[in-house]
Amino acid sequence: MTALAVAAASLRRMLRDRTALFFVVLLPVLVIAIIGTVVHNPGGFRIGVLAGQAAGPALATSLVDDLGAAGPVEFQTDEQAARTALRRGELDAVVLVPVDLEATLLRGDDVVIPVLAGGAESTQSAVRSAVSAAVARHAERVQAAAFAARRTNSSVAEQLPRATALQRVTPRISVSTENVASGSDYLPLGFGYSAPTMLVLFVFINALAGGATVVQTRQLGIYSRALAAPVRARDLVFGETLSYLTFALLQSALIIGTGSLLFGVSWGNLPAAIALVVTWALVGTGAGMLSGAVFKTPDQASAIGPVVGIAFAMLGGCMWPLEIVPETVRTVGHATPHAWAVDAWITLLSRAGGLADIATDLAVLAGFAAGMLGLAAVLLRRRLSS
Amino acid sequence: MNTALVIAAKDLRHRLRDRSAIVLGFIAPVLVAALMSFAFSSVEAFHADIAFVDNDHGQIAVALRTALTSRELSDVLSIESVGSEQQAGKLVDDGDVGAGLVIPAGFSAAAVGDEPVGLTVLGSPDNPLEAQVAKAVADAYVAQLNADRLSVHTALAAGVPAGRTAELAKAVAGLRLPESVEARATGYRQLTTASYYAPAMGIMFVLFAIGFTAHSFFAEQRGGTLERISAAPIGRGGVLLGKSLAAFVYSVASLTSLAVVSSLAFDAQWGPPLPAAALILAMSAALVALTALVIAVSRTERQADGIAMMITFALLLLGGNFVLISQAPDLLRKLALLTPNGWALRGFTDLATGAAATAALAPALVILGMAALVGLLAGVIGRWRAAS
Repeated sequence: MTALAVAAASLRRMLRDRTALFFVVLLPVLVIAIIGTVVHNPGGFRIGVLAGQAAGPALATSLVDDLGAAGPVEFQTDEQAARTALRRGELDAVVLVPVDLEATLLRGDDVVIPVLAGGAESTQSAVRSAVSAAVARHAERVQAAAFAARRTNSSVAEQLPRATALQRVTPRISVSTENVASGSDYLPLGFGYSAPTMLVLFVFINALAGGATVVQTRQLGIYSRALAAPVRARDLVFGETLSYLTFALLQSALIIGTGSLLFGVSWGNLPAAIALVVTWALVGTGAGMLSGAVFKTPDQASAIGPVVGIAFAMLGGCMWPLEIVPETVRTVGHATPHAWAVDAWITLLSRAGGLADIATDLAVLAGFAAGMLGLAAVLLRRRLSS
Repeated sequence: MNTALVIAAKDLRHRLRDRSAIVLGFIAPVLVAALMSFAFSSVEAFHADIAFVDNDHGQIAVALRTALTSRELSDVLSIESVGSEQQAGKLVDDGDVGAGLVIPAGFSAAAVGDEPVGLTVLGSPDNPLEAQVAKAVADAYVAQLNADRLSVHTALAAGVPAGRTAELAKAVAGLRLPESVEARATGYRQLTTASYYAPAMGIMFVLFAIGFTAHSFFAEQRGGTLERISAAPIGRGGVLLGKSLAAFVYSVASLTSLAVVSSLAFDAQWGPPLPAAALILAMSAALVALTALVIAVSRTERQADGIAMMITFALLLLGGNFVLISQAPDLLRKLALLTPNGWALRGFTDLATGAAATAALAPALVILGMAALVGLLAGVIGRWRAAS
């Protein structure tokens, strides 16, 4: 009963702190919105084309239309602007359609189209291949028109509409892509990526930073005074733990609720998701209590807590997928509870897993929670009794 | 001026004695930059392993395989011959190869007939680039076949008698697509993860100092230190100047040390020293102005903490310190330029990718302009509050 009273009092104090509410309510939603918007599938490569060229002769215009198959085409004012956008990574490639493209092709001559590919080395070859494929599709009908022109003693310009119309109806050798993956090792893109990772990040960080209130209560001597009453140290520690757990669960519920309602995130198998959220709230509680027991001043807890929380989130795959990092970094990452929680979310959201599939992750997380809670309880009780 | 220097030196000593300021200003940024450059070290190179299934064994299938193993493609992809589509699918699913390419039985024969058979790329959403490259390379190859087919059809439609179809088919065999692409060098350095996130993380940790400085100001006010100082023949301006100077020096030292360490240890590109220093100095001036604004609008330590954190996170989120802003939609990129840190990151991105040193001039001036505006606002609010 005493523990419940302590929990209620602590919780009221947390909820009254308006600054904390910014970090618990507003910030996670904003971060989920921004990261979810940036980490999305743009539907191909962003191709830059000079605006003047696109509005020029018919063959240049139709080439730009074909380039749309490689990804969204963005018009640039001039070559300098296009090169700058490419350098900054705002475009994946710039296609410099030659000014004399139409005249040369209509004469029956060949044209070489310069392509500047940007992005990381990993995307450069991919973007060049995609542009080549789009240009080749355009070249098919130009070749056909030129061939027909030679065979019938007419002009390329006369045959071009015919070739274009026929290209639409002639059966072609297609190349189709088939997804053979039984599941993914990554979270879904967009909000399906940002919401679960930020749930993991914020519950943990806010709990860690919240350790400051325990330190402050300790510093102010409130615990010592409470102990003068017929209250056991065990009840105080248990009460604080309960308030942290409730707080972590409230924060999780808020992120899950806004994720579903605002961003349309699906959270997978319900019992498994609930088990994961509750276990993660326990991990957060353990971290918060441990920070309350270990740090000497509230400033230390609120300054070092978030740094530790961000570092763990980076190592544990909340900031980028652990699939892309070298093996050693991935192994080191699994020393943080975050990696296990993110693994479990991947199993739930990208492989339609259930409770049994995340049993190992849950067991490891429960181990983390028990370890931190146990250690915090021992340390706090020692500090309170001494 | 001397008084201001003494106060600045005292403030700096005080701050450096606090271990959390050392952690936030000097250790954390280096650690985070290290983590990021290690994490992304394997992402910046690309090579696709493709499982190749030839169920056709015809002439065109063999030619396609030869094209895929050509020297110009050897940097981009490697081909591994696999017995069956199931086997290739399993390799793709297990992540042992990036994608698969299946040539169906009868492909070569059908390619010249009326009902051609398509190729299939086996992909996985975990390796979208590999599947995209496999599809694009196959597309580029079949484009010549499709062009030849279309050429025959167009010639027939243009009036060549149907009896000469065989002759046309023979004639198109020697044709080449009239348009091809040529890769041109971009003439700039690639922006690496370390080069973007080193300044991004450095600025993030420096912005956290807004809260610290504002907090210490109100702590001193509460403790009566400021009142006692004002009893001495020191103007309020001298105190504020001293405190601003301390915050400025802390920020410059933090960013400079990160620039040196991350350049040497993780090959982060901060550009030539002079323009990089200009951006660091401008950003530090903006930090001072923002701190002054927080002090001007707050009344207590707790208020200062809260307002500082909100301003800091709003700037970090909008400015692109958490995400690679170039990948963001246009609207977010425009919003980033409403923040001093967004401009600083643009300047550092330009310098890192090898733009001229003058590229830092506009960002530095814009940041200084923003600092002046914010400082002015802080001054007006401060005076108004003092008067009321």
